[in-house]
Amino acid sequence: MTIWWLIVIIGLILFIGVIFIYIILHLKSSPRSEKELNDQTINGSIDNIFNDEFREELRNRGRLHFEKIITENAMFLQQDLQLTTSQLNEYMKIEITQKLQSEFVKYEESLTTAKQLTVEAIQKTNDAIDQQRETLNLEIQKQIETEKKQLLARFENNMASIVNHYVLEAIGNQIDLNDQLEYIVADLEANKQAMIEDINNGS
Amino acid sequence: MVHSIKTKTAKNTLSLPLSIISPVDIGRVERELWGIKNYVEQNKLKKEDFKLPKLSRLLDNLIDLNNVNLNNQLELSSLISQVNDIKVNSPVIHLSFSVDPSVLFLEKITAWFRKEINPILLLTIGLQPTIGAGLTVRTTNKYFDFSLRQRLANSTDYFVKVIQEQT
Repeated sequence: MTIWWLIVIIGLILFIGVIFIYIILHLKSSPRSEKELNDQTINGSIDNIFNDEFREELRNRGRLHFEKIITENAMFLQQDLQLTTSQLNEYMKIEITQKLQSEFVKYEESLTTAKQLTVEAIQKTNDAIDQQRETLNLEIQKQIETEKKQLLARFENNMASIVNHYVLEAIGNQIDLNDQLEYIVADLEANKQAMIEDINNGS
Repeated sequence: MVHSIKTKTAKNTLSLPLSIISPVDIGRVERELWGIKNYVEQNKLKKEDFKLPKLSRLLDNLIDLNNVNLNNQLELSSLISQVNDIKVNSPVIHLSFSVDPSVLFLEKITAWFRKEINPILLLTIGLQPTIGAGLTVRTTNKYFDFSLRQRLANSTDYFVKVIQEQT
């Protein structure tokens, strides 16, 4: 909208300039007629009036007037340009703001989407880690149980020999054979028949 | 005083004193008897008066128990024959103890075996410190373990149960 205004103003200035040039040229090349011839006489006298000095003065006045018009137009043009520039700035500002806002909205949407995706990914990772941890816990628990059972079984299997060893080490040499005689005889009595049979049947 | 178990078999009426325990003892007695027999025969051939040499404790116990006159060649020959018969035919049982048993203890054990199992039974004694207490008996074909080690080994389930209750 402002660009169109600028173009119109520039066109107006050019139009005014063209009219001004046309007036100048028209004044210089007007057609000669009888009246003109008559006027030539007049003009001769006029020329006397409008001598070089006067003409020079008129020329100076015209120049000044032209400069004034040019100055005024330039001023108008400057004002228009300033206005146009300010409008253009405003427009640019608005456009850029809108663009930026839309970009920001898109950027925000992208960020939101990325954030959502990241959160989902993190959630999935967390779920996977939780599952893995649970599986690992179960596996470790199972292995601990197995190892515990193995240790217990090994301990139970070897316990007798360990206890035997320590008991025998502790009391083995402390028990007198005479004190054992009663038990020994009782054991022998219990197996007497087997011994007799073995001796009778043995080779 | 000599403890003994009388042998009442058809062939052998010899009683073994409790001091004769192992085949080694009976072998020593037999060798000693053979020596005495040779000594008596030599002296008889020389037609000299002779006196029997000092006897070992084992032989002394044996002749005291069986009232044998060693000067009588017939009785001596009979004794040698019976001793040899015991050496060859008597059953032998091997006993193992955790410590070296005393003579008195061995005599008690020997008395029980000769009374309950066989009157001419001989024992060989071994040492097995790992059994802790009690004894192991090895007959011709069987092995009896009356040791503390075996008793503890048999009580494994009980130990496990007690420990599990404690824990």
